[in-house]
Amino acid sequence: MKIITLTKNLFKSALLAAALMTTHQAFSTELDDSWDQTIEAAKGQTVYFNAWGGSDRINSYISWAADRIAEEYDVTLEHVKIGDIAEVVGQLEAAKTVGKNTDGNVDLMWVNGENFAAMKSGNLTWGPFAYNLPNASALKASDALTTDFSVPVEGLESPWGGAQLVFIYDTATVPEPPKSAAELLEFVKTGGRFAYPAPPIFQGTTMVKQLLLELTDNHDALAQPVQEADFAAVTEPLWNYLDQLHPNLWGKGKSWPSSAESTRQMVDDGEIDIAISFNPNEASAAVKSGQLPESVRTYTFEKGTIGNTHFVTIPYNATAKAGAMLVANFFISAEAQSRKADPQYWGDPTVLDLDNLSDSDKALFSSIDLGPWALPIGSGIVLPEPHASWAEALEGEWLKRYGN
Amino acid sequence: MIRTAGYILAVLFSLPIIAGLLGSVLPAFGLLPPLAATEGFTELFADPRFWPSIFLSLKTAVIATLLALSLTMLTLVCAHGTRLWRWLNGLLPPLLAVPHAAIAVGLLFLIAPSGWFVRLFSPSITGWERPPTAWVVPDSGGWSLILGLVIKETPFLLLAAAAQLPAVKVDAALRIGRTLGYAPARCWSRLILPQLYPRIRLTLLIILAFNLSVVDMAILLGPGNPPTFSVLLLSLVNDPGSRAVASAGALVLAAGVGLVFLSTFMLEKLISYLAARRRESGHRGNALPVWRGLAQGVVIGGLLLSVLAIVTLLIWSFARRWRFPNILPTEWTMQHWGSRLGEFASPLFTTLTLALFTMIFAIVAAIIWLEAERQNKLPKIDWIWYVPLLVPQVTLLFGWQAMALLTGTDGKWLSVAYSHWVYAIPYVVLILAVAWRELDPNWNNAASVLGAGYWRVLFRVRLPLMIKPVCQAAAVALAVSVAQYLPTLLLGAGRHQTIAIELVTSFGGVDRRVIAVLASVQSVLPLIAFVLALWIPVYFKVKRPA
Repeated sequence: MKIITLTKNLFKSALLAAALMTTHQAFSTELDDSWDQTIEAAKGQTVYFNAWGGSDRINSYISWAADRIAEEYDVTLEHVKIGDIAEVVGQLEAAKTVGKNTDGNVDLMWVNGENFAAMKSGNLTWGPFAYNLPNASALKASDALTTDFSVPVEGLESPWGGAQLVFIYDTATVPEPPKSAAELLEFVKTGGRFAYPAPPIFQGTTMVKQLLLELTDNHDALAQPVQEADFAAVTEPLWNYLDQLHPNLWGKGKSWPSSAESTRQMVDDGEIDIAISFNPNEASAAVKSGQLPESVRTYTFEKGTIGNTHFVTIPYNATAKAGAMLVANFFISAEAQSRKADPQYWGDPTVLDLDNLSDSDKALFSSIDLGPWALPIGSGIVLPEPHASWAEALEGEWLKRYGN
Repeated sequence: MIRTAGYILAVLFSLPIIAGLLGSVLPAFGLLPPLAATEGFTELFADPRFWPSIFLSLKTAVIATLLALSLTMLTLVCAHGTRLWRWLNGLLPPLLAVPHAAIAVGLLFLIAPSGWFVRLFSPSITGWERPPTAWVVPDSGGWSLILGLVIKETPFLLLAAAAQLPAVKVDAALRIGRTLGYAPARCWSRLILPQLYPRIRLTLLIILAFNLSVVDMAILLGPGNPPTFSVLLLSLVNDPGSRAVASAGALVLAAGVGLVFLSTFMLEKLISYLAARRRESGHRGNALPVWRGLAQGVVIGGLLLSVLAIVTLLIWSFARRWRFPNILPTEWTMQHWGSRLGEFASPLFTTLTLALFTMIFAIVAAIIWLEAERQNKLPKIDWIWYVPLLVPQVTLLFGWQAMALLTGTDGKWLSVAYSHWVYAIPYVVLILAVAWRELDPNWNNAASVLGAGYWRVLFRVRLPLMIKPVCQAAAVALAVSVAQYLPTLLLGAGRHQTIAIELVTSFGGVDRRVIAVLASVQSVLPLIAFVLALWIPVYFKVKRPA
């Protein structure tokens, strides 16, 4: 009797073990897999990459990357175009609550700032996969890549590119553009045409943060979580300023551009004089593709503008984790980064340290022509982002005051 | 067998509607714990955007509907029987086929301060070297949206009204009225419109419900801050923490639609009371040629606006450089239609496969349904087809999405196709039903007497006689599918990108010229279908032996 039970149990365990092993082979990718195992596991996978789809040059770039990845690794990259990645973070939170821990809809996503902070604190990322990527060895050793809006990255996301708030203006209509918050106010009061997208569109939020940085004396508070600061006191000069600015904007503070890209289009149309962008090389790309006149130039405020790094991360319940790692690794290859830095295709600052590259890879970067329209290299002081928690607080207060 | 098929169809059609309504009601009251554990009304009413966005939705929907109704009446009175009327009958169906989103984009390119209109007259007439600052598009008052809705909905209402004219015996009424000494316009207002109105009331309510809950056009043409109520709800529903609030909002929207319906009925009663008193006055009046000319001008202006919107799209799609105030681009290119279109191959493929699926299954289902009904194996219940057209899309689809999330069917191609089918089949059944019920039963009887079996009669006699309405219904099904934004967005979970989704989601940031290509493609697909629907019956008629 005992022996029969024992045999039965043994048999059961064997079955279970066999089942587990098959599952492991078929589906599971672990953080400690070797890179060759990852390449093998990724074969035939489809990676659903959830990324903001609001710029057609970026969309084209991702579509190019998809072609290259299909060639190289037999992995299909599908770009799921998102309006605001916060929605995807919300969906992951919901999936976590209902216990959907496998077969998620999202394999790789483009994040930074408060969205990364939310994912990190909600344990929505898969793990420190970024340390395993072979190409990570060529990354810049800089705080900008190891912290994201003051939150430590810890390998939970892999850097993809840099960005800085810049202004684009047409020298044919604006001889001398405003170089500070105060000058901007004077500019619109004397007939200059300007508009920025309404928060929570992130370039709009960044513009508000930029103004706050200039207008407040209390910079230490901005580096700390907003809960620890006297929000009303720190932001009071900002609201006083915006109360004066808004009635003089395009749309009189009642209508707002739908995106930063549309401010660029509005400069070309002549509806406004100065566009905002989060890409120092955007103007160059736009001139080359016939979307801005050759008379445009790019600049930042005299005391600098906010800059940050954007990343990609793999959610905890991703279906194609191996494939997602291959894509993240491809994104920081010299080939992908040099194309990304070329304004013809995208044109944002690379996250690689060129000194870590071979001569042939370095040559990929030196052949890029930025033209006179982009932010001149070396100009434009980069200011750090406030702590990630400030974005939501500022957006909420902005909407309360100007949202209807 | 056909009875069983009919019942299966009825279940397939009603299941998502019932599930969808439940899926909105339960989370609104916090009764669907995995998605929403607390009720959403308190938070909804506390949202500072609630009242402004409700007010905006009511304002835009009611004004747009009233304008569409007035324009329809005006066109009937002032254009019926003239050359303009014949033109309209040719022009309206293709205009109706152009999706809302495409028209919205064209309109933006047309009426903005730097749009084509101002460019046409600047600086020559206006003296403007730079775009004026007197208005912006989209405006915060919602007037751009109203304009877009009016130019899209008037053709729909006008066609519905034109289809009812034979039933109200217009020519006879005009003759009698004239004999009694009434001016032509009075004949319409006193004799014909009171009979016509009850026949187009349902179409009017469909338009009203649509205007109150439209999402794609409101995103493109409506104010953003706050947006219309349905756009606000859409921004909430994707945030899982706000599922209860969004569902509560969806119910408020449905209730709002109901209330507006009720007010329409009360307004109707009042007007018919007043009109009856005026009829009794016996006042004859004079013909006023000035008014007639003015009204025809308004009608032609509205048409011109739609046509110009589409022309602007086409021009932008071939432009390389086109700055204010140039009337036409200074540099042209084919690039956007060439290499750039290649990037949209996948959404185009998804759009086409969804449209074909929708078309085939809607036609087959409608034929099965109408055959079963003809053989008295099913009750005649036309009203069920109106349910998805009268319940706001937001209300139905939020719930459907909730149910799809719970059953793991979201993000599946078949779920998206299913939703397109549910929105296309009402039009297909309602178009085919007219022809099906009117066909002389003697055709059937004669063929049966000659020994043809059921299927032979159906395929060799009935369907060939029906080829024209079947082709028209197929074209409508295709147009409906190509235009679907919200069902694709909510049930596709981002995995099934169509041209409609690409157009709306990428609008704000993308290259205007590429947007123009997308909108042109979205307009051209249904237009091709309509041309085919006209051509196929003619082609087959020629080949049939006399």
